[in-house]
Formats: sequence, C-alpha cells, structure tokens
Amino acid sequence: MRNFTGLLINEWLKLSKKKSFFVAYAILAVVFGIMGYAFYEIQPDGLTSTVDFATGTIMLQAAGQLVPVLAVLAAAGSVTQEYRYGTIKFLLIRAQSRHKILASKYIVMVVYTLTLVLTTAALAVAAGYIVYGGGSGESTWTDFLGNIASLAVYSIVFVTMTFMIGILTKSNGASIGIGIFSMMAGSLLVMLLSRYTITKYLLFANTDLSVYRSDAVPIEGMTLVFSIVILLVYMALFLSVSFAVFKKRDIA
Amino acid sequence: MTTAKITNPSIVLQLDGLTKKIGGKAIVDGLSFDIAKGEVVGLLGPNGAGKTTTMRMIVGLIGMTEGDVRICGQSIRTSFEQAIRHVGGIIENPEFYPYMSGYDNLKQYQRMTAGVTDARIAEVTKLVGMQDALGKKVKAYSLGMRQRLGIAQALLHEPKLLILDEPTNGLDPAGIKEMREYLKQIAEAEGIAILVSSHLLSEIELMCSRVIVIQEGKLVTVRSLGEAESTKQKVLSISMQVGNAGQALEVINRMEGIMAAQSDSFTNKITFELQQDQIPGLVASLAAEGVAIYRIEEVRATLEEEFMKLTGGNRIA
Repeated sequence: MRNFTGLLINEWLKLSKKKSFFVAYAILAVVFGIMGYAFYEIQPDGLTSTVDFATGTIMLQAAGQLVPVLAVLAAAGSVTQEYRYGTIKFLLIRAQSRHKILASKYIVMVVYTLTLVLTTAALAVAAGYIVYGGGSGESTWTDFLGNIASLAVYSIVFVTMTFMIGILTKSNGASIGIGIFSMMAGSLLVMLLSRYTITKYLLFANTDLSVYRSDAVPIEGMTLVFSIVILLVYMALFLSVSFAVFKKRDIA
Repeated sequence: MTTAKITNPSIVLQLDGLTKKIGGKAIVDGLSFDIAKGEVVGLLGPNGAGKTTTMRMIVGLIGMTEGDVRICGQSIRTSFEQAIRHVGGIIENPEFYPYMSGYDNLKQYQRMTAGVTDARIAEVTKLVGMQDALGKKVKAYSLGMRQRLGIAQALLHEPKLLILDEPTNGLDPAGIKEMREYLKQIAEAEGIAILVSSHLLSEIELMCSRVIVIQEGKLVTVRSLGEAESTKQKVLSISMQVGNAGQALEVINRMEGIMAAQSDSFTNKITFELQQDQIPGLVASLAAEGVAIYRIEEVRATLEEEFMKLTGGNRIA
C-alpha cells in the first residue's frame, strides 16, 4: 500500500513538475475574470445573483466546456508521454505490476480532473460574488452543486475514453484529437440520430446529466438512472480495454 | 511450463528455451544459457539477431512465446515482481523525464521500490560521479551524463543482475573507457552479474569474461575470454621478424616442443607456436647463432575475427 502511494505521488509529480501545469488553472482564472467583467458591463436579464452567475457559467454550454477540454489534454499525455520520452522502459522494469502502474495513472488523472472542476466552481463563485455581491435569483445552491456534479461526470467520462485511446494509439496528438472531436461531434451525432430509439444507448447521449434537471431529455424514455447505468457500462468497457491492452503490450 | 529448480545457487540469470515468435516467425528461438554471480557476459550477434528482443524479454518488456527466464530462481513470467526486483537495466538509450532534475528522476524510481534510502541515492550518484549535476534538469544533460544517470537508476535498488543494451552507445572514447571501468568495478566489488550487448566487439572483449553469440535468434556459441588458462603453460602463437628467416627456422626446428613453424623468406617473418616459458631459451639460441631479431609479437585471433567466422562476415552490420 505504501508502494502504491509512491506511485500516485510519482504520477502527480510528472504532471505538476511541468511548466504547463499551471497554464490550465491560469486559463480558467482568465476566462472567469473576463466573464465577470463582461457580465458587470452588460448586466444580462435573468441573472441577478452570485448563485445565478456561478450556476450558469459552469454549465457545459458555457465556460464549463473548458474543463473537459483541459482534462482531456492531460489525460491524452498520461501514457503517451511515457512512450514519447522513452521512460516507459524504466517505468515497467520495476517491482510493480503493470496494473498498479496504470491504476495510479488513471487515479491521478481523475484527481486532476476534479481539481479542475473544483477550481472552476470556486472561480465561478468568486467572480459571481465580485459582480453581484450575493443577491437573490432563480438558481439555488442545489442547482449549482448539481451542475458541478454533471461537469465532473462529463469530464471524467471523456478523460477515461481519452486515457484508453492514449493506450491504444500511443500517440498524444491522436488521443487529443479523437478526445476533443468526439466531445464536439458526439452531441451533434445524438441530435441527428435522435429519432432512432437505439441512439439512447450511445455514450454521447448520456454524458450530460444536467439535462435531467431541466426536463430537456434528449430522447424519449431516458432517465437519470438509465444514463448513469449506460455511463458505468461504457466506463467499465474503456477501463477493461485499457488495462487488458496495457498488460499485454510488448514494449518494443 | 514447469519451473525447474536451479541447482547452482550462484546462478543469477537462467534462460530456458526462450522463444519469441511474431507472426509465425521466430525472432528468438529456443535460447538457453546461465549467468553466475559476478560474471560479465557479452551478448553478441549481427543486427537483427534478436539481442534486444532477448534483453527485453529478460526484463519483461516483451512477452515470451515459449520458454522461461528465471532471475534468482524466480520466473519473470509467473512471478514478475519477485523476479524483476533483482534486475537493474538500461534497454537502449537511458531516457528520463527531461523537465525534472536528475535527483527528481531518481526519486521517482526510489518511490517505486521498497527499501531504497536517500543514502543509497547519494551512494550511487557518487559512484557514477554525478553528485554535482544532480540538481540540474535532465534536458540540460549531455549524453554521457544521461548514461551515468542511467547506470545510477539501474543500481539504485541494489540489483543482482544488470541488463545493459548498448551501454556505450553515443559515448566518446573517454566515456566508453570510464563506463567499462564502472562495470568491471561493480561486478567485482558488489558481485553483480552483468549481461551486456554492444556492437563494439573490442569493448566486449575488454569487459567480458564470456561471450554468447547468437544469430537469427539461435545460440551459435558460448566462449570464455582469456584469463582461464595459466599463462606460463599457455601455448602462444608467436610471430617473429628476423634478419634471416631460413637460418632462424633451422634453429627453431632443432628445439623441442615448438610446433608449426613457418617462414617467409621474402619478409623474413616466421610464425610458430610454443609455451611461454620456452621463449627466453629460444631467443638466447637465436642470438647465439647470430640471428638478428627485430620484433617478437603474439598473434591473437581477435574476437572480431572469430565473430566474423562464426556468423558469416557478410551478415555483420
């Protein structure tokens, strides 16, 4: 167990020792700074409180979209960078099983994603407080928390998928490309195919759980529980493929 | 696959019918050999002979199709973690996280293995002479420095076996010599067994006590290098440059125990085989007969010549 903690620390250091590590957080800070200023200038209708602002901006359709993109950028590199640097050879000749090494990588990616989500939430509240200073509006803290949870789920699903693509392709660029493309094209695809009921089994129809707060269900008959089950099935599939392939692969 | 018991406890590495097939073609084919404690063994073969594949299989980077690799009696196939803990390795170039310092890189590997202390990190960095450069980022390192850091990471967990694939690649002559000295010192002082591959045959000759030659994935020969026989009794092949070859040949033929004397009257060179302790007597006789001696040389088949013979010269890359 002490050993596994060591692996987690290693993975976290591989992320955080990079100069680009803080860039992701800085981008979020800048974006929320700009949004706060814009809202202060424009004073849009219907937004009257800190909670309104925070709940609205962290949605996937707003600044929240940045979080899965930034998380996917990191997830794509987790395994592929080891190949790029050639360090995979040193990494896999230690007295650690490949499963443990991969598990540490995945867990750190999920933790990193959550730090992005929480940073975003904190920035949204801070910017909202500066602009509105509290106030009362339509949204409640429950709405806000619900949106945070949806953002986290959405991001982790795409991180898991990109993580698997990284293992399969060994290419950072390809993983980023496929990860972000499927994020963009996935919802479009669901829209185009929404008249077929089978579409509801597609991953992309279920990634945004926030739809269940607004009753704008993408396809007739879908429920929150249904989506969660579908997501869990896909996650299990992605992780099984990741671990099976990583375990078997020859490092040539 | 049954795991045979190792009878000799000093055997550190044991290959048993190691085979790798890719698409039906055998890259490594039924390779078996042992390496004992403190031995430095060279793995030779033309390009594509399967050296790197063999080494990658030994450290578990590549799965084996058949056979087994046992390190200190533990199978790399069935008990990977127990087996690999005795192995340190550099497979091809030593690669590190370039954005981290040398120290941070070593810390990474410390955290992966139980029982590696900070004192051990200091010890190995001192051994490879890297203590002053350890705080610098690896991207600022020269190839020689990366090689040394590579040796440091390989020794960190006090392995019983070192697997080194082309450890002198990209080093300058001074670096190569230094590396050779380290490796010999490590093998002698700490009793570590070393399996090393290199395309520099003269290097292998200077470093190793034994060489294993493979070709097309199969074992061609195992050969001990030097030292084994006592030098006094050893039969040497000698070439001598004299003033008059015909006269010298007569003297030599009169002496006992000198074999296969040949002379070349054009170049005045004679070659023959004798035991080392016969040489002073021969020189005295020749001098007494008034034969001028210009040069006495030992004729040795170099590893390279032997290697060419074994593998068919044209296949060497």
